[in-house]
Amino acid sequence: MHRRWLIPFAVMLLLWSLVAQINHYLAPYGVSLFVGGLLVTFAALRLALRNGLIATLLTGLAIDALEPVPFGTHLLLFAGLHVAVYHLRSRFPREETILGVITALLANLALFLALSFLLLGGQPAANGAWIRLFADLGVSQLFVAAIAPWFFALQHHALAFGHVDLGEESRHPF
Amino acid sequence: MPSHRFDQAKPFAVLGIVVLAWILLPVAVKSFLRVSIYEVQAPVQVSASYARDLQDYWAERAQSKNELITAGRDLRRIYSGYEFEAQQTEALRAEIARLEQLLRLPSNPRFRFEPARIARRDFTGWWQQLVIRKGANYGIPVGAPVVFSGGVVGRVREVHAYTAVVDLISSPSVRLAASVEGDPRPVSYQGGINLPLSAPRGAVEFVPPDVFASTATPKRLVTSDLGGVFPAGLTIGYVTRLEASTDGLFKTGDVALDPRLSELAEVTVLVPLNPT
Repeated sequence: MHRRWLIPFAVMLLLWSLVAQINHYLAPYGVSLFVGGLLVTFAALRLALRNGLIATLLTGLAIDALEPVPFGTHLLLFAGLHVAVYHLRSRFPREETILGVITALLANLALFLALSFLLLGGQPAANGAWIRLFADLGVSQLFVAAIAPWFFALQHHALAFGHVDLGEESRHPF
Repeated sequence: MPSHRFDQAKPFAVLGIVVLAWILLPVAVKSFLRVSIYEVQAPVQVSASYARDLQDYWAERAQSKNELITAGRDLRRIYSGYEFEAQQTEALRAEIARLEQLLRLPSNPRFRFEPARIARRDFTGWWQQLVIRKGANYGIPVGAPVVFSGGVVGRVREVHAYTAVVDLISSPSVRLAASVEGDPRPVSYQGGINLPLSAPRGAVEFVPPDVFASTATPKRLVTSDLGGVFPAGLTIGYVTRLEASTDGLFKTGDVALDPRLSELAEVTVLVPLNPT
């Protein structure tokens, strides 16, 4: 049963590590990628609440351990976003890739803005920082739009490889 | 109908339980979790860095013998120059020690130089940090200054078993005591806004009104030994603009940092020999 959340969690960590490597090479150009929204989207749209939320919470913890934010920031933001997407998922055909991509873009935008206000909101020099943040957001949104179909397919195939039936996950939403 | 309503509310009830559980979790458990999860992930960062080194090694293997001979010859020239400077440094150190003894002055802080490869660069609009491939296993302490050939890189914020995290001087959260070269009066330096496709920058505050700098005549900003961890005289950057602050008593301005800061592959950690 553990593989139902373990597989999505492992794939999310793989994406986060790959993006960290890309950011390493992007550092000299003064831009960076953020894909938090994409990490949450597949688990929230396609998995049962319990399995999806466990994978999301573990990913949030893994990111919190590496980044200079108060421990639990990503965990709580990811959990809130996961529940919001999960709550809305019955209102549109969530298996459609294009709707998944749109959800990932909106989720990424929401997370990025929430993190920006949390981390820079109180700083005196925050006004000028928005130029950089908008540049990062623009590049990140393009990147998310480009790789979201691949990431959804990767999650799908990894779950199929682990004999996890996504149809059954849909029939038992909790 | 009530069952349907409960189904709708269940995800939010679960979220409430998660938030409550997180708030109630003891700080010690959170700290343990953070350290444990970091250490579990550290090999991924470090192995990616070793893979990059291997890539560079094979790329360098493709260089011709002539290129290597030329590089070796150039290195010999540089080495002989450094050998002479090392002798001069030793003589100056002996002179400083003699004067300290004569005048009964407290001796300057001494450091051990610990070179370290960079495992990961993480430069976002929110923070600017580096992960280096040395940590507690090499005796690196929290707060140790980190430098490179161009001057100050930053200071160690976290030390783990075999990695350490360095806050860059371009990070908005970094603040240092500094002084303009040739002027002992202290000023305050803070990491600044790092715009896309441009070199990292910082800001300087509390500059005396009789100090002038512009892009055409920049002033070198160096570390000050006033209460900081950095030895005095290390280059932070160049002050390229100064204007009167809102209170009119001091000046504020921009500091251009070394563009190589964003491309570093190796840094040196200054480990204090006699930590206080």
